[in-house]
Amino acid sequence: MKVEKFDAIVVGAGLSGLRAALELSKKWKVAVISKVHPVRSHSGAAQGGINASLGNTLEGKDDTAERHAYDTVYGSDYLADQDVVQFMCEEAPKIVIEFESMGTPFSRLDSGLIAQRPFGGAGYPRTCYAADKTGHALLHTLYEQCIRKEVIFFDEFFLIDLIKVDDQITGILSMDMATGELIIFRSGYVILATGGFGRTYKRSTNAIINTGDGVGAAFRAGVPMQDCEFVQFHPTTLYGTNILITEGARGEGGYLFNNKKERFMKNVASKAMELAPRDIVARAIETEIQEGRGFENAYVHLDLTHLGAERIKERLPGIREICIDFAGIDPINEPIPVQPGQHYSMGGIATKFDGRYCETPLAGLYAVGETASISVHGANRLGGNSLLETSVFGRYIGRLLLEKGLAELPSIDKLEKAEEAAFTGIEDLFNQWNTNSGKRPVEIRDEMGIVLDTKVGVFRTEIALQEACDQLAALQKEFENVQIPTSEREFNFGILRNLELRNMIDIAAVTAYAALWRKESRGAHSRIDYPTRNDKEYLVHSLVFKTEDGLMLKTKPVKLGKFEIKERVY
Amino acid sequence: MVEVQKFLIFRKRPDEKARYERYEVPKKKGMTILEALFYIQDQLDSTLAFRYSCRGAICGSCSVVVDKVPQLACKTQVSNVKAAKKPPKLPEFNYGDISDWIQEEEILIEPLPNMEIIKDLVVDMNPFWEFYRKVEPYLESEWSDEAPESAQSSEDAKSIEHLVYCILCGLCWSCPVNATNKNYLGPTALAKGYRFIADTRISDKHREKIIEKVWQENGVPSCEKYFVCNRVCPKGVKPGTAIKQIREKWSKNE
Repeated sequence: MKVEKFDAIVVGAGLSGLRAALELSKKWKVAVISKVHPVRSHSGAAQGGINASLGNTLEGKDDTAERHAYDTVYGSDYLADQDVVQFMCEEAPKIVIEFESMGTPFSRLDSGLIAQRPFGGAGYPRTCYAADKTGHALLHTLYEQCIRKEVIFFDEFFLIDLIKVDDQITGILSMDMATGELIIFRSGYVILATGGFGRTYKRSTNAIINTGDGVGAAFRAGVPMQDCEFVQFHPTTLYGTNILITEGARGEGGYLFNNKKERFMKNVASKAMELAPRDIVARAIETEIQEGRGFENAYVHLDLTHLGAERIKERLPGIREICIDFAGIDPINEPIPVQPGQHYSMGGIATKFDGRYCETPLAGLYAVGETASISVHGANRLGGNSLLETSVFGRYIGRLLLEKGLAELPSIDKLEKAEEAAFTGIEDLFNQWNTNSGKRPVEIRDEMGIVLDTKVGVFRTEIALQEACDQLAALQKEFENVQIPTSEREFNFGILRNLELRNMIDIAAVTAYAALWRKESRGAHSRIDYPTRNDKEYLVHSLVFKTEDGLMLKTKPVKLGKFEIKERVY
Repeated sequence: MVEVQKFLIFRKRPDEKARYERYEVPKKKGMTILEALFYIQDQLDSTLAFRYSCRGAICGSCSVVVDKVPQLACKTQVSNVKAAKKPPKLPEFNYGDISDWIQEEEILIEPLPNMEIIKDLVVDMNPFWEFYRKVEPYLESEWSDEAPESAQSSEDAKSIEHLVYCILCGLCWSCPVNATNKNYLGPTALAKGYRFIADTRISDKHREKIIEKVWQENGVPSCEKYFVCNRVCPKGVKPGTAIKQIREKWSKNE
């Protein structure tokens, strides 16, 4: 059994993980573990931009961190914690300027300053961008700086389980994907930056790798999951493949049309129109489709043709490429067929109510980015706030841990006992998978995706959610007897994808369970049977725990603040 | 009856001889090569190894050779493979005996050329990353988070935009020079070097250093101007043109 020892371990090499590692590597020996090479991380797929109240444009010159915080809290339907939102928005201009100083090739205004565009739910043009490939530009910048600073990477290492002694994290069990060898990374600090878990749904914009490995591992280790019922459905995903069509397309002036050639957003958000927040636009599109005003009962049109070839080529080149490659249409000449699809997990690993941001109830374990629910997005995330969250809290966590100092580990006997148990536990599991006679992973994965798509989607009801819970519980049961050959270990993606399913099947169940519990409509969680927000009973975070007797739900107060609770209208 | 598409796929386990295996995948409208590979992995043989991540042509993971043309599996439509016009003047890639390949019927999938094969379609990209690091592709200034940001004209920012779009997929390593010279930095690293040389924000000192790096014997001087890199690049980065521009504008002796 091979054991690697580090001062801190960062799992995941997207923006959150890289930014944390850059900070920590200044002083400590840090390992970044990632199941893909860092530049393959899903942060690179983010298109539209990163929010910061720089006030670089004429229309945005009065913008402030305060207004950014207000829009974020209002957009979250008041479920975001106001202290952490305020912190993020104050850090935002700094983090964007820092990115620029690291070399990020932002698009520029005539003044030479970083360009900013309007985005949904934002009072000012606040979203800084690099054409429509902002995530790619930021991810590559951080990776470049990691190369410069000689950060230590373990590429293509898969996180299997967390290892703990009593209530303290002591490391992780991982698989070296190339050889299939199980490797222990021992450390008193583990930072999970493993991204979202959108692949629990079938219709998702997420990369295939977004399977919530950190979230699943934390949940198995007894850490609760927070606000998982809040799933962001991006209003405009390309019909067919559900590849993301950025909100920037509407930010640049794109229109949404139904089959009657009506800009239907006027019925639900007469002021903000297409730039209402994502939950509202997604519901409007879903309604058009359900009421027969869509095309082929499946999509509406996102029309950019009036923007002209030049603007499309300059501001939205990636979108044009995606449309040509994956749908065979050129948005210069034709509208884009779009439908809502799972896009972002507002929920994730719960962090403490008191204490520092990103800190989980398991000592030494931290969560950052989409993996975590800390919670800056509450019930609905604004576009441009997720890239921001990753780097603000990646940097924050790095600084926090350096300030705290190195962790003390339990005695070597205890450590080795826990590591041995994790190791043999997984070997036993692999043997079991090899000899099982149940379903193959693909069957369970497909069923799970369909259950979530159809029963835990944009609109929800008690009956459908109850069915979803029952079906997912049955699938969890079936997963115990899942069969997959495990004797060949080198680059065996069959095994790896089954380990991913092991994580997703739990998270899917939590999502449905929390959605069933929340009998109100708030942000992205829209219950047809409870169509209004109910602050009296539900202005609280949900926490779902794994117990011997199944799932258990508790609540956690929301950190309120100066922004007074109002009805949310756009 | 569901129509099937036949595949002939390169397979190899570490320390074993390579072989080709045949698979049949039910055709589906809009199916990409990547989806077909997943079908095979999910339904027919869970040990088939290939890299993937975003499935939207932005992460650069799934580079393979389809019918002897290097391309991204996620960006290639199954229905289009036989009809697609192939880029002109591609080198020949040989992985083994394919004399029984029924070219009209079977889609042939092989790993990226000029890299060591680890398993099936997964190649060892370590040299690729090593050469990428060699050109020191980053800004070297101290980070600052204090306003205002440093300004850059819109034109200057745009002038490197196409270079920034590089997704480090490795397809341009199909270059014939990479086939013969294992130390050739390759089109990716050189284009990345140029992305920083041409960035108006870089310090003169670091620019000089990168120029030095890209002009080493196995860098720009080794490029033989085949421009295969430009033709296979899925993102319009045009590495060959970047190398040409280094030659024209940033000669070492300047």
